[in-house]
Amino acid sequence: MCADKVDPLDAIIVGSGVSGVLIAKALGRAGKKVLILEAGEKLPPDINGYMNRFLTATAKVPESPYPPEIFTDSKLTDPATVNAGRPTVLSLGHWYKFGDARDPKQAYLIQKGTLPFASTYERINGGSARHWLGTSLRFIPADFEMKSRYNRFTDWPIKYNDLERWYGLAEKEIGVAADVEDQNYLGIHFSSQYPMPKIPLSRVDMAVAKGMTTLKVPGIGLDSTEWKVSSTPAARNSQPYQDRRVCAGNTNCIPICPIQAKYDPSVTLADALRTGNVTVWNRSVASQLVVDEAGRVSGVDFIEYADDQGPIVRRGRITAKVFILAGNAIETPRLLLMSKNERTPNGVANRRDGEGVVGKFLMDHPLYLGWALMPQPVWGYRGPLSTAGIEVCRDGDFRRDRGAFRIEIGNEGWNFATLDPDTTTLDLVNGLNHGGLNSDPPRALFGAALVKELNDKLSRQFRIGFLVEQSPEATNTVTLAEHATDGLGLPRPQIDYNLSDYTKQGMAAAKTTASAIFKNLGATEFTQPADKDDPCSFEWPSDQGQTTRIKYFGAGHIIGTHRMGTSANDSVVDDMQRSWDHENLYLVGSGTFPTSATANPTLTIAALCLRTADHIVRRVLN
Amino acid sequence: MIDFTRRKVLGVAGGTVVGEVSPTGTIERAAADDASDLNLFVKISAALTGIGEKRLAPDVDPIQVKHDYFNQAKSDPGFEPLMQIARAAPDANSAAEKIMNNADPQIKFLGRSIILAWYLGVWYEPTVLAQVPAPFPVNPMKVVSPVAYTQGWVWRVAQAHPMGYSEQRFGYWSDEPLSLDDFIKNPVKP
Repeated sequence: MCADKVDPLDAIIVGSGVSGVLIAKALGRAGKKVLILEAGEKLPPDINGYMNRFLTATAKVPESPYPPEIFTDSKLTDPATVNAGRPTVLSLGHWYKFGDARDPKQAYLIQKGTLPFASTYERINGGSARHWLGTSLRFIPADFEMKSRYNRFTDWPIKYNDLERWYGLAEKEIGVAADVEDQNYLGIHFSSQYPMPKIPLSRVDMAVAKGMTTLKVPGIGLDSTEWKVSSTPAARNSQPYQDRRVCAGNTNCIPICPIQAKYDPSVTLADALRTGNVTVWNRSVASQLVVDEAGRVSGVDFIEYADDQGPIVRRGRITAKVFILAGNAIETPRLLLMSKNERTPNGVANRRDGEGVVGKFLMDHPLYLGWALMPQPVWGYRGPLSTAGIEVCRDGDFRRDRGAFRIEIGNEGWNFATLDPDTTTLDLVNGLNHGGLNSDPPRALFGAALVKELNDKLSRQFRIGFLVEQSPEATNTVTLAEHATDGLGLPRPQIDYNLSDYTKQGMAAAKTTASAIFKNLGATEFTQPADKDDPCSFEWPSDQGQTTRIKYFGAGHIIGTHRMGTSANDSVVDDMQRSWDHENLYLVGSGTFPTSATANPTLTIAALCLRTADHIVRRVLN
Repeated sequence: MIDFTRRKVLGVAGGTVVGEVSPTGTIERAAADDASDLNLFVKISAALTGIGEKRLAPDVDPIQVKHDYFNQAKSDPGFEPLMQIARAAPDANSAAEKIMNNADPQIKFLGRSIILAWYLGVWYEPTVLAQVPAPFPVNPMKVVSPVAYTQGWVWRVAQAHPMGYSEQRFGYWSDEPLSLDDFIKNPVKP
């Protein structure tokens, strides 16, 4: 058992991602003693090691800079051998091939549903937002009122106005660049200014914006929409901020900003450590919560390991007044469900009568991607990965019938779409046509001819991505796998996931909108339908009485599995993210969102966590 | 995966065999052949890639990625036949024509590997490129070195920069880039 002496702790936080570190910093600054249990490796003194991993990675996926190793001997590392494993997008490949999502030897998540859950995460200092894009949009008022307005799903137990002040504080805390004048659409209002002016638009944005005044997209409930391109608020320095540099347009926000001009939670982790009141135990995985006879959480068991696939070095149990689980909406329910005993037969925070919803209502933003060639150069591969989007389509009466979406304009050419520029380069040099730009018949070029052709094609590439609202379904679940464990012997998360008709209808509307946007711009669309053995795809009726195969990506947004609500009857936490069942337990992060809305979740996560931290400091720990 | 040290990242001895640092600190040249072969390799690479020779291997070159590609290519069986064509040809462009249209696949596909190395910083084995149908994605392949990625020419042909390696200032993306010639043609000395 644990031989270390720790000072009596005010709070133990599981996870050093964005939720955990914002709360740790707030508590630490208020003089509270905090211990963070982080499953992954410790905060390095600089990002050089992660940058070097990225530079040498052959597959520059979001997780490529960060341990644990994705590959072992040219195959995906067997998750059963990894102590603090996590999913990789490389395990979402075609059935029976490299990266088979249903092969437990390749995929960390045990995918049992109709469709694979396509988002991934990190277990490391700073968490998954190490590789977020930086998009910092507020939810709109309607997002909190889906039941009242559209008779769908549920309302949140709070409204936009309850969170407005915290949005402003979150924008200052992480450093968001935007102008209020661009952002007060669809009912959004501001009581504060953004700390930094907006990031300038790219040439791609400007080209897309030119087509907005004449755009019409009929048949999907957006007939009277006045289309426009909006600058995207981003946690990306447009001025020096928090001793961090101004953005230099490295076009690499995902997976890693070489100069930390993009905020990532390691910044707040460092701040938290500097308060002198916060300690982190790294490579320490929380394995079980213990509850006393009064129903309070009395301790958390942890397992400490030596390196990614190495031995266990310590087991222990530690206690504090308050416990905060900040491990993302898959790992947090996993921990809760692993904590089964007499007092908590269904796991912690999950009621005793079998009616609890921990692990249920798993959501993502399924992402529809369309890509095209502009008639004139727009020069992608420049600037931040995204600087603008189209937001006016995020709300309307159509939300009774189909998922809404927001549109993200990409600045990275066809990198996301086809793994360009590598794919087209390989095509043009080796006479292939995997990217679609070297057909009829494929040519093999070199010298000046190669330069000319590549320049012409790459400079005209662009893509748009649609983040579609996913409906909360009790059948989309995180549970514990019965026959798959990680390197510590703990059961891995099992996922049962599907897209409802409501959500698929939203994806289909996205597809229609993408084609309309391209056509209106005079761009040539190159979006490929998915092939039939792509597991992240589904058939959908197309216009001419046929069907088409639509591909979805995960947006990296893991939502809903410990939802907030107005009572213990149908939710896991209250609007302070506090468990109904255990008064000293908080479950924080986008797992508390009862609906997914269309905005990237991180700013809302931050606002909720600052609000929760304030509550804990002023009302719980004083 | 390549194991590398901070020394290599700083551009010193990035897999090169051309020179070794002696205890006194002077660089000893390997066989003179190697040095002239390296120069010829760069000339041919310029013709193969369409990128100016002084861009591939500038006079002031702290990075010296040419060594990485030269050594990689040198280890291939098609290298000597390819270099013979290069030595015999009247100029680099006609050498490139003969290499890229060669009946011998060892030579032709090595030419393609060399182009891809300069463009992408990644080595695609000629034998893999030669497969019919050519596999996609190509596996295994390797990033030649961390600096090779940052020196990839495809990004400059796109009038951009390698993702993760901008050498520009805030806001540049609102302006048009410099012309393609500015990126790839030999710089004009004043």
